[in-house]
Amino acid sequence: MASRSELEAQLREHWPRLRRFAYSLSRDAADADDLVQDVAMRAMASCDQWQVGSRFDSWIFRITRNLWIDTVRSRGRRDKHHAPAEAGELVGQDPTPGIEASLDLSTAMKAMQKLPDEQREVIALILIDGLGYREASEVLDLPIGTISSRLARGRTALLELLGE
Amino acid sequence: MTIDEETFFAWLDGELEASAARQVADAVAADPVLARRAHEHRAMQDKLRLAFNGLLDAPVPDRIGEAPVDFAAAKAKRDERREVPVRLPQWAAMAATLVLGLGIGAIVGPGRGSDSPVAAVQGQMVAAAGLERALDTQLASAQQGGAGPRIGLTFRNGEGALCRSFSGVAGSSGLACRAGGQWQVKGLFGGQAGQGGDYRMAAGEDPRLAALIEESIAGEPFDAAAERAAQENGWR
Repeated sequence: MASRSELEAQLREHWPRLRRFAYSLSRDAADADDLVQDVAMRAMASCDQWQVGSRFDSWIFRITRNLWIDTVRSRGRRDKHHAPAEAGELVGQDPTPGIEASLDLSTAMKAMQKLPDEQREVIALILIDGLGYREASEVLDLPIGTISSRLARGRTALLELLGE
Repeated sequence: MTIDEETFFAWLDGELEASAARQVADAVAADPVLARRAHEHRAMQDKLRLAFNGLLDAPVPDRIGEAPVDFAAAKAKRDERREVPVRLPQWAAMAATLVLGLGIGAIVGPGRGSDSPVAAVQGQMVAAAGLERALDTQLASAQQGGAGPRIGLTFRNGEGALCRSFSGVAGSSGLACRAGGQWQVKGLFGGQAGQGGDYRMAAGEDPRLAALIEESIAGEPFDAAAERAAQENGWR
């Protein structure tokens, strides 16, 4: 069991990665910042659930992912009828493959939003954060085979969206 | 040797055992199509990672994981996060990235507090306070006369983002487009704020604003129904 100060120290150490993970899941900066705040509060409130010596990143990512899924689900119920407009956001935009060398954050977030949630979380953990397949499967509580097939579909879709 | 997609990606990610990895590496080296795919996916991943890695540089906040004391405090904290008053050096650096008119100093000049209608967030000029509220909530088709910001045209730009022109902000008019959940100010032009009359056309009175709209717009400006639908859809 961790004390609040131990937990806070861990949170500080992992803050940049936590924030990047939240941004890679969220539809915009405001949502991502809110998610990070919620995760930090949730983590501090449940510091008795994290064992000192166990991997903090897996634990905090799991909390992040679960809170995000809750938000997505409650929002899904609320604005289901708006979905087509949102899905059409990138339509008509030519990513000019091979010409645009760098990608800005909001374009990257938009492309991530085009992926189904279950592919996005795998891409966020493996391609963006750099976790291994086994670590990602622990965070998401999924078999490695599922991780690997979602990863394949997600990155194929992203390659089309983002070009070379 | 045929390689299935998941094995190919597992190789790319360094997830294969040494002997299997060698086999895939040999196959990729011998097949230009596979080699090109490997290159494309690596380049895409590098680009994606780079786009998100900028987030790693932000400083860790002083206080983390504390529950807000009450709603007002939470809101104040959020506003604080969203609206950093512009100070001169930052402002000077940003001037180069904006289409600018005269009179801008009256709006975002040094010393303005959090009631400034324009704020700097991560190096971008965004609408804040009364201007942000007007852009979020005001429909040009249902505007009353009087003080405060007025909305002109609503349209989508070439990138598919929603844009709205405005006037009556400290005597200036301008254009803001939706990005990252905020209204990014694309241009601000001093003077010539309309007084009465047809405000929807008044947005075009300043030739610089008209030129900026002309340059940005893709398709037609929204009519009243499209404007209302866009609002209901959260300006996405």
